[in-house]
Amino acid sequence: MKSAIYLLSIAVLALGLYAYDSKQRNDQLEQAIYGQYTNSLTNASEKLSTLQQSVSQSLLFQDQQALEKELDNIWRTSNEFRSSISSLPLNNEITNEWLRYVGKIGQEAKATADSGNYETWHKKMEGVHKNLETLSDEWTVATSNFYQNDGDFSKWSQVATKETKDSPFKNVASNLKSYSETDFPLTASESDWQKKRDLKNLNDKEITKDEAIEKLELIVPGVKDATYTVSTSKDDAPYPFYHIQFVKGSRIGYADITVKGGHILSFLSERPISEERNVNQQQIKDISNKLLKRAGYNDLQIVEMRENHEAWHIALARVAGEDKALVYPDGVQLKLSKDSGELLGLNAMEYVQKENIDENQKVIPIDWETFFRPGTLVEDEKLIYTENEALQLRKCYQVIAHFDNGIDDTFRIVVDAETHDVVKVEYMA
Amino acid sequence: MVRSIFMSIILLFGTFAVVKQNETLAFSSQVIERGAFGDDVIELQARLQWIGFYKGKIDGIFGYGTYWAVRNFQEKYGLDVDGVVGTGTKEKLVNASQYHRDWVMQQISQGNRFTHYGGTPLANQTKAGGGGGGGGGGQGTNNNSTVQLPPKYTERDLQLMANAVYGEARGEPYEGQVAVAAVILNRLESPDFPNTISEIIFQPRAFTAVADGQIWLTPNERAKQAVLDAMNGWDPSENALYYFNPDTATSAWIWSRPQIKQIGEHIFCY
Repeated sequence: MKSAIYLLSIAVLALGLYAYDSKQRNDQLEQAIYGQYTNSLTNASEKLSTLQQSVSQSLLFQDQQALEKELDNIWRTSNEFRSSISSLPLNNEITNEWLRYVGKIGQEAKATADSGNYETWHKKMEGVHKNLETLSDEWTVATSNFYQNDGDFSKWSQVATKETKDSPFKNVASNLKSYSETDFPLTASESDWQKKRDLKNLNDKEITKDEAIEKLELIVPGVKDATYTVSTSKDDAPYPFYHIQFVKGSRIGYADITVKGGHILSFLSERPISEERNVNQQQIKDISNKLLKRAGYNDLQIVEMRENHEAWHIALARVAGEDKALVYPDGVQLKLSKDSGELLGLNAMEYVQKENIDENQKVIPIDWETFFRPGTLVEDEKLIYTENEALQLRKCYQVIAHFDNGIDDTFRIVVDAETHDVVKVEYMA
Repeated sequence: MVRSIFMSIILLFGTFAVVKQNETLAFSSQVIERGAFGDDVIELQARLQWIGFYKGKIDGIFGYGTYWAVRNFQEKYGLDVDGVVGTGTKEKLVNASQYHRDWVMQQISQGNRFTHYGGTPLANQTKAGGGGGGGGGGQGTNNNSTVQLPPKYTERDLQLMANAVYGEARGEPYEGQVAVAAVILNRLESPDFPNTISEIIFQPRAFTAVADGQIWLTPNERAKQAVLDAMNGWDPSENALYYFNPDTATSAWIWSRPQIKQIGEHIFCY
């Protein structure tokens, strides 16, 4: 009996010590996170205040240099604010609205600095300035509870789980939503981009499930006679599509095909890939071209090939116009196995609705020798269509340039063919 | 005297035979060009480095560094300058250079930092460890985990996303894993989310795997492949920004999001 009591006492003591140790560790962790959240909250509050002041100051100047300095401040501060806000455990709705609204202010500042359209900036920011002031006041009220210096972590855990309507940030969220709509309505180019992304504009004839399967088997004959499970997209989906899942031997995969017109959006198949390498790079190209022809993609050109351990990924772009410019936003991607060259994937979501391109846009030649510093070698000049920062589709020059210094740092540079604005610079490995 | 000369000759031939045996002519018959990856490219880079044309890492990836080196070699040796390595280029290169296949492969498998320049003893061109450490000066490293990604992504992005996909969806079909990776990338393009993959993944409450620590499990190859497919453009989620498990989701807000499709246990929405 004595021994049992003795053993029990030791067990209780050990359990107590363990519980104490766990609680200590838990408290320490909570304190560390509390400190981090408070730091992010303070940073966010300070950045919001700085942003509000910078927007206000930008309304002071007409002088280009002074205004550009403020625009740069606004762009930088908006990014810093976004970073602080995204590290707080607010609910999705509030975080998303903040990120969107402040991101728009930053983008607008950058676009104004690039375009020099200061008048529009001043006009737009008069409203934004007032709204930021309101938001700043509401933010101070909503966050005051977090500055009571009591180290109470439950405040943060509660705010994270509360729905917006029960949250202290309720007013901030509702104002942000309304200010986003009034201060930054979708521009025409953004709407176009959104429409394309949503594929809402398809007006083709609807196809049946069986026709969708036929379409898949035409493009991927390897899945013929597979076992199919076909479902349709949910009612809220912006465009209706068939979701076909298939199993054939060791192959398991899916294909999404639009109900309107039976356009293949994407297809992926998974199977074990053997170590054998029976196809070379040229054969992969030939297989790609054949299957594109079979699928009716007659206006595509390979722009990039990437070999990895099991498969090749191939990127293609539509060729358009007399100058055979590559329309990058109308791209298709293929995935072919390395063991046999079998088609393992096709992604044509962006190709379904073709971009409206302006073939009449001027193309003014560029002297690359004066455009780049001496010691830069330029190869492979092409005309392409790509979106600029304002999401406008522009005809551009694309060149591959590298330093003639033995290190061979290589860049892809995209330059507007008419204005000669640099649209993109990409470091190539 | 005669005996020692005889012995020296035997020793010399023996040494020569050992060296020649190690020097394998292993190029396969395939034509390789930019985008290729694998043992042929390792040999190409090692041979080009031996004669000073290539200063980058010997990693088996035929990127632009290798491309310019091939072109420079072709120009110097009077070949067609196209950056494509066919029979003619291979023959010239094999005649002009040496390749110590076993040694190079050993360095790669051990994750050593190394170079393969001619005129310097190989033993002096290798340092232990440093796999994945980047380094400069044309030092190759372990390429077991090396992959070719679209230019806007890094191997760090791949690793982080693979951790997230494995933690969030390892029991899901492959399509579902690609879809989870695609949601992360869709958030990267959306103005409603942070600007980097890391910020998106570690945004508080964004992913359950971060909250419960499952993101720190070691991802398998399948999760990495899924991320690779998403980075190359596949999006089985059809432009979704969120997903949830209908059996466990309690947030009224997530149920209010417009739904697109269900894959396995996850409903994808925007």
